[in-house]
Amino acid sequence: MSSDLIILLTAGLTATACGLLGPFLVLRRNALMSDAVAHAVLPGIVVAYLIFQTRAPLPIVAGAAVFGIICVLGIDALRGTGLVKWDAAIALVFPALFALGVIGISTYASGVHLDLDSTIYGEIAFAPFLSLDVLGAELPRTVVLGFAAVAANLAFVALLWRKLKTTSFDPQYAQAVDVSPARMSRLLLVAVAITAVISFESVGAILVVTLLIVPAAAAHLLTDRLTAMIAITVAIGWASAIGGLSFASAADASIAGMMGVVAAGCFVLALLAGPRYGLAARAIRRRRAGRRARVALGAAREAGAPS
Amino acid sequence: MGPLIDALPFSYTVSVIALGAAVLGLTAGVLGTLAVLRQRTLVGDALAHATLPGVCVAFIATGAKDASTLLVGAGAFGLIGALLVVGLERSGRTRPDAAIGVMLSSFFALGIVLLTYIGSLNQSGQAGLESYLFGQAAGLVERDVTIMAALGLGALAVVAALFRPLKSTLFDADHAAAGGLPIRALEVVMTALLVVAIVIGVRTVGAILMVAMLVVPAAAARQLTGRLAGVLVLAGLIGATVGVTGALLSAQSGLPTGPVIVLVGFLVVLACLLLAPGRGILWRARKLARDRRRLLVEGVLIDLETALHGGPPPTQHELALASGRPRRALRRALGDLERTGALARDGERIYLSESGAASVHAVLERRDLWSAWLEHGWRLELPDAREPDPRDLRASLGDEHADRLRALAAEARA
Repeated sequence: MSSDLIILLTAGLTATACGLLGPFLVLRRNALMSDAVAHAVLPGIVVAYLIFQTRAPLPIVAGAAVFGIICVLGIDALRGTGLVKWDAAIALVFPALFALGVIGISTYASGVHLDLDSTIYGEIAFAPFLSLDVLGAELPRTVVLGFAAVAANLAFVALLWRKLKTTSFDPQYAQAVDVSPARMSRLLLVAVAITAVISFESVGAILVVTLLIVPAAAAHLLTDRLTAMIAITVAIGWASAIGGLSFASAADASIAGMMGVVAAGCFVLALLAGPRYGLAARAIRRRRAGRRARVALGAAREAGAPS
Repeated sequence: MGPLIDALPFSYTVSVIALGAAVLGLTAGVLGTLAVLRQRTLVGDALAHATLPGVCVAFIATGAKDASTLLVGAGAFGLIGALLVVGLERSGRTRPDAAIGVMLSSFFALGIVLLTYIGSLNQSGQAGLESYLFGQAAGLVERDVTIMAALGLGALAVVAALFRPLKSTLFDADHAAAGGLPIRALEVVMTALLVVAIVIGVRTVGAILMVAMLVVPAAAARQLTGRLAGVLVLAGLIGATVGVTGALLSAQSGLPTGPVIVLVGFLVVLACLLLAPGRGILWRARKLARDRRRLLVEGVLIDLETALHGGPPPTQHELALASGRPRRALRRALGDLERTGALARDGERIYLSESGAASVHAVLERRDLWSAWLEHGWRLELPDAREPDPRDLRASLGDEHADRLRALAAEARA
C-alpha cells in the first residue's frame, strides 16, 4: 500500500467509526457528554502505558474504557448529589481527568513515547511507518485498528439497533417497555471512549470530537430518517478525510485539523442549503407563505368589496 | 502594577506570575458564576476553544507575539463564537448541545490548522503560540498583567453597576422580563463578560481547560453561600486562590500551568462539595446519622417509660423483647442514655433516673403537641400562614398557641 493510501484509509476509517456513533449522540442530546468522554480517556492511555509499558492496543483500549466509565459515572454522581447542575458537572469532571492525563504525559513523556503534540494533533502523518503483526502478516497498524473500530461499532449499532433507536427517539416509551435510556446512553458512551482511544493515534484526543459531532449534526439538518442520517454522516466523514488530506498537504497544516475544518464546511453547507431545514430553504418557504397569504388576502378583499 | 509587585514577598518574575494568576482567577470566578448560574457553562467551553483561531489570526495579521495584541484576536473570535452559538441554537433544527459541540470542535479544528500552518512558515517567535493550548504562566510580563487587570476591573465594574438587574435575570428571567428588564441585552452583556474572562485567562490556563476555571470557583462558592453577592465575592476569592496556587506550583515544577490550576481547583471543589456546612455530602450524611441516633434514643426512652409504667423495671433483654428493636441499636441507645445520666441500674434491671424521667416527659409532651397540631391545628387561627418547625413546635408557635392547642386536645379527649 502506498503511504497516501494508508493515511487516507486511516482517516476514512476513523471518520466511519465516529460516524456510526455520532448520529445517536446528536439525537440523544449527548453530544457534550461525548466531548467529555473523549477528553477523559487521556489519563487511561497514560496509565495503560505506564503499567504495561507498551503501545499494544488492547491494554490501552481497556484503560481508556475504564476512564471513560469513570468520567460518565463521575458526572452522573455529581449531578445526583443535586449540588451542581448538569453542565457544571460535565465541566468539572472532564477537565480534571484531562488535566491528569496532560500532567501524566508531561511527567512521564520520555518513558512512554507520547507527547502533548500527538495528543492534540494526532500522528496520522506517521501512519505509514507503523505496522502491526496480524497472524504473521505485517499490516499497517492504524488501518487494522481503524477496521477493528468500524467493525466493533457496526456490531454495536446492529446488535442494539432497536434499543438505540427507541431510546433515542422516544425515551419515555422505551422506559415503559423496560429499555433503560440511561443504560443505553452509558453503553454508547463506553463505545465512544473506545472509539476515541483508537482514533487517538490518528487524529488526537480532541479532534475526534469534531468527527463525532460535526458530520452527524450536518446530517441531522439533511434528513429525518435514521439510516439515511448514518449514511450521510459516514459520507461526510469520508469527504472530510479526502478533503482534509488534500487541503492539508496544500497548506502544509495538520491533517486532522483540516479534516475537522472540512467537516465544519460541510456543516455550514448543510445549514445554509439543506433541502428542508436549511436556512435558504426556510427563507424561501417563508417568503412563499407570505406571498400566498398576501394573494389570499387580496382575493378576500376583492370578494368582500361591498363592505 | 509596580508597587504591588514590589510588595509581594517573591522574586520579580514569580510576583508577576502570581499577580497575573490572581487577576485571572478573580475575573474568571466572578464572571464564570454568571454563566454557571444560567447553566451556560459549556458555552464558555466553546468560546474558550474559539479563541484559539483568533490568536492565530491575530498573529498572522500582525506578526506580533506579545500577549496583548493576541488578546484582541482572541476576544474578537470569542464574540463571533458566542454569536454563532446563539444563532445556531435559534436556527431551529440543531439542539443546544449539538450547537455548542459543533462550534467548539469546528473552531478548535480551525485553530489547529492555523497553528500548524504558522508552524510550517518557520517564522521566528511562533513557538509561544502553542502555550495557548495548555496555558503557560511563565511567559507573562508586567505589561500583560497590567492590561489583564484593567480589563478585569472594567468587567467587574460592569457587574457591580448592573448588579440588581443581573440578579433579577439570574433568579427568574421570565419574571424580570415581565418587570420590563431588557433580558436579551443583559444576556448579551453576560456573554460578553464571559468572553472578557476567557480572554484574560486563556493565555495562562489554555483554551482546552479554560472552562474549568469558569466553573470551579462558582461551583465551590455556591456550596458555601446561597446569596448572589456572597457567591460572586467568594467565587472571586476562590478563583484567585486557586489561580495563584496553581500558577506558582506549575512555575516551580515546570508542568503546564493549565492542568495544574485545574487539578488544584478540582480538589477545592471536591472539598466544598463534601464538607460545605448545610449542603455538603458528608455534612448532610453526618446530620442524617445524628438525627437517626436522636430518634432512636428518644424511642428507647419512651419504650423504657412504657415498660416501667406497666411493671417492674425491665432487664435489657426484656426491653429488647418488648420494644422489638435490634439488640445492637438498643445497646447503643442505652449507652448514650447512660452517659447523659438518664438511666439508673439496679443489677440487671434498668430504670430512669430523675433527669431521665424529665427528658421522657419533655419528649412525650413534644410528641403530644405535634399530634395535637396535626389534629386541631386548623382551629388555632394563627396570625400568619408559616409552617411551624416540627422539631420544636412550642417555640415556633409561641407558648400561648401551644397551650391553646393542648386545651383543644384535652377538650377533644374529654
